[in-house]
Amino acid sequence: MSIAAISFFFVCGAVAIASALITVTQNNPIRAAFSLLAHIIALAGLFIGLQGHFLAVIQLIIYAGVVVVLFIFTIMYIGPVPKPESAGRPSFAKLFSIAGMVVVTGAVTYAALGYSPALKGLNTCPEAVAECGQFGGVEAFSAALFRGGVVPFELISILLTVAVVGAIMVARGRLIYREKPRRKKQELSIENNR
Amino acid sequence: MDMILLVSTLIKIAFILVLILTFNVVLLWVERRLAAMIQDRIGPVRAGIPIFGYNLALKGLVQPVADAIKSLWKEDFVPPNADKFLHAMAPLVAVIPVIVAFAVIPFGSSLYLNHAFEVLPPEPTGRVIPLQVATMNFGILFVFAMGGTGVVGSAIAGYSSNNKFSLVGGLRAAGQMVSYEVALGLSLVGCFMLYNTLLIEDMVRWQIENVWGIFLQPIAFILFLTGSTAEMKRVPFDVPEAEAEIVGGFVLEYSGMKFAIFKMGEYFELVLASAVIVVLFLGGHHLPGLTDRGIDFLGFAQPLWHGAVVAIHLGVFLVKLVLVLWLQFMIRWTIPRFRYDQIMKLSWRYMLPLALLNIFVTGVVIMAL
Repeated sequence: MSIAAISFFFVCGAVAIASALITVTQNNPIRAAFSLLAHIIALAGLFIGLQGHFLAVIQLIIYAGVVVVLFIFTIMYIGPVPKPESAGRPSFAKLFSIAGMVVVTGAVTYAALGYSPALKGLNTCPEAVAECGQFGGVEAFSAALFRGGVVPFELISILLTVAVVGAIMVARGRLIYREKPRRKKQELSIENNR
Repeated sequence: MDMILLVSTLIKIAFILVLILTFNVVLLWVERRLAAMIQDRIGPVRAGIPIFGYNLALKGLVQPVADAIKSLWKEDFVPPNADKFLHAMAPLVAVIPVIVAFAVIPFGSSLYLNHAFEVLPPEPTGRVIPLQVATMNFGILFVFAMGGTGVVGSAIAGYSSNNKFSLVGGLRAAGQMVSYEVALGLSLVGCFMLYNTLLIEDMVRWQIENVWGIFLQPIAFILFLTGSTAEMKRVPFDVPEAEAEIVGGFVLEYSGMKFAIFKMGEYFELVLASAVIVVLFLGGHHLPGLTDRGIDFLGFAQPLWHGAVVAIHLGVFLVKLVLVLWLQFMIRWTIPRFRYDQIMKLSWRYMLPLALLNIFVTGVVIMAL
């Protein structure tokens, strides 16, 4: 890796970690969503560093362009920002989650430093291998999607359609089946004349 | 990184920035004067620079400069109880992605440095500089990625202003832009299938070798023009700003330079959408009768220097860009604003099925041929 690539990795990584921390600690939900946006953009930068160009762009289109916007949309609909909880004694849940975070961070760091046998197989992309650079490109991705996994892909899309239709049915209730009460012609004409 | 690559990239970035900022000033002038002429008015023509007792007004071209000076000196008002940080960030989030998206637009043919002052030989050698800031292997998708990120700017502007009209405008903007992104993305899939690539420079090459995309994908052209107008929140899709009902929407609480940045972002988006239309549907820098070696038109052949050909290509691209921008302005000042439910219906009931149908028909035709 060149110096530019390494510094790119460190900048993106630092931004990703910082914005992820802000996302989970921020009390204001819109600010949290905003730092989630920064996190997603930094993550896309990391994907580009790993030659996953297509994944980076999809990350930006789907997550930055749609998911974060829908988060903000929902938060705006819900209305005023709730008051943050008063900082009293740390609850059991808080202590537990902090302890869990420390354990997971430690485990990941331990693994990443190369002491874990499970991660020994992971290598960075050597520049001499041509196929390696194609790994995250559009062609490799579409080949995997439409040659290897086209049946599961279509099945999942049917499942998603069913879920969307079901969600609409649940949200609307049974009202759409009920016939509209017929009104007399006289009433209608009065209404029209208003 | 070698020196020539670095310097040429910096020159290209500077060229793009100067180009879009110049377009910004000129478009502001054209929009006002054109609107005035369509509505049988004169428009702003008086603001000028006084020189020796003569008012240098240039038919109103000095007006945007006066606007810029006014914006700089105006009070930067932040409403009480507004979220100051997000209020300041929103214009940047709205404008920066649009500028970044220009990186993948090829604005001319490739320049061979060794052959700039001679007719291009059949097998050119030496360093080649593509007139495009970044050649990335996801090409046109980058424009969509950046355009999608820009949506957050208007939504956050609406929320952080602490104003109900702004909030309604932000909500409308978010809903409208997410809806139209789907149709906008799908409208171009037919083009990807036809050109068999995602790289914009390869799409331009395909059109030069075969035929301009607008003749093969007319439905995609109309869908993209409509969808990009909606994505830019311009009339007739300007319900997020609708000054007659929600007094400016998400830009209501912005003043001074922040407001100017929002307006600049709108013109940048306009130039970007027009540039995408030029490279995807109108053959990019291609001029019929002009090859890489010189003029070759109906039996008339005149070899030209390679540098001159590249310069003509650049000029052709800019002329096409201006023509598409003119079309956009004519649409803007001809059609009245749609209602919000009409906008949603247009997106989901008409544009999305039409785009899918276009993909299907294109696929069938490509398989049959």
